[in-house]
Amino acid sequence: MIKDTTIKERRFFLIRALSAFFILMACVSGCAFGNGMKHYTRPGVDTNSIDKIAVLPFENFTSDKFSDEKIRSLVIIDLISRGVDVIEPGEVRGLLKEMQLRSLNSITSRHFKQIGEILKVQAVMTGSVGVFKVSRGATVSYPEVSISLILHEAETSDILWSAWHTTGGAGFWERHFGAEGKTVDETAKILIDDILDTLY
Amino acid sequence: MNLCKKYILTIVILITVMISGCRGSVPLYYIDPNVDFSFFKNVAVLPLDNLTNNKASAEIVRHMVISELLATGLVNVVIPGEVMSAINELGIRNISSLNKNQIKTLGNTLNVDAVIMGSVEQYGDIKSGSMSAPEVTITLMMADIASGNIIWSISLTRGGLDFMSRHFGAKTETMSEVVQGVVREAIQTLLAY
Repeated sequence: MIKDTTIKERRFFLIRALSAFFILMACVSGCAFGNGMKHYTRPGVDTNSIDKIAVLPFENFTSDKFSDEKIRSLVIIDLISRGVDVIEPGEVRGLLKEMQLRSLNSITSRHFKQIGEILKVQAVMTGSVGVFKVSRGATVSYPEVSISLILHEAETSDILWSAWHTTGGAGFWERHFGAEGKTVDETAKILIDDILDTLY
Repeated sequence: MNLCKKYILTIVILITVMISGCRGSVPLYYIDPNVDFSFFKNVAVLPLDNLTNNKASAEIVRHMVISELLATGLVNVVIPGEVMSAINELGIRNISSLNKNQIKTLGNTLNVDAVIMGSVEQYGDIKSGSMSAPEVTITLMMADIASGNIIWSISLTRGGLDFMSRHFGAKTETMSEVVQGVVREAIQTLLAY
């Protein structure tokens, strides 16, 4: 009888201890969250009506020399898959060369208008890549990608839509159980898809 | 009854530990109480001073500030190219040492109500023992074009290793999440007003 009571108490304690452990784990993994994406869409603008876009080369703030072009290609492919008519990257590059634009950071409203008129597009997209790498965390490595995209009306250069988003970081299973995470490219694709979901 | 007391005590300790793991630093900021911020509709974000070893940190934070300001839906932000063009046109070499007249001239050229300037003081990984975590410190200021005065100023730090990360391997934020968090928190002080 005494033995039965001890076993019951032990089981009861074990169940409680396990419950407390999982609650604690859930809280620990939840502490770092809360950075949802925010985006801007100009009031009164229906972005779905924009069906022809020129995507300019992106600014690259990373140590990966080609990350801007990688992200730009992924953005273009994603836009095309959504039925948007995107001007060929080579044509855009040629025009920028013709316009003698020295820096992407110095594109003014006059330039946007010119690009719009020559390429016959309604909107021009600019962007930048902030991070595109495998970062080292406290205990594990993880892919990290962050990009900023802005859609300008070609005629007025008004900002029609803007978004900055980041993704990556090691999840609960990667940190504690060594599960295989996503690659940088997979992370970038997911990120771009999430961002463009807010546009189209 | 004794067992119940033990459980309650354990839960209290766990909650205390969890609370101490979540960050809650109070931002240091100034906001001019006599200014009606709803008046400011057009804003320009000037290039930020980079006081870090990361060459791109100032531009990354600047893009984040522009994006967060736009996301509030309260202000229009001048495109970065126009700002650079005006700075070059006016022959301004050092953004960190703008005087009142230069602020007014720059604002009038860009046709904005206010300009935001600032600096990135820390942008990198902070080491603590064998572990490291990203930490970012920024300072942002808003100057009124009409008067040339600073009407909002904030200095914020975010990131680093907290209690839970150090002891239980809890998720630390990525550098991008830290940047997003610090900028968002800064802009929130403006919105809250």
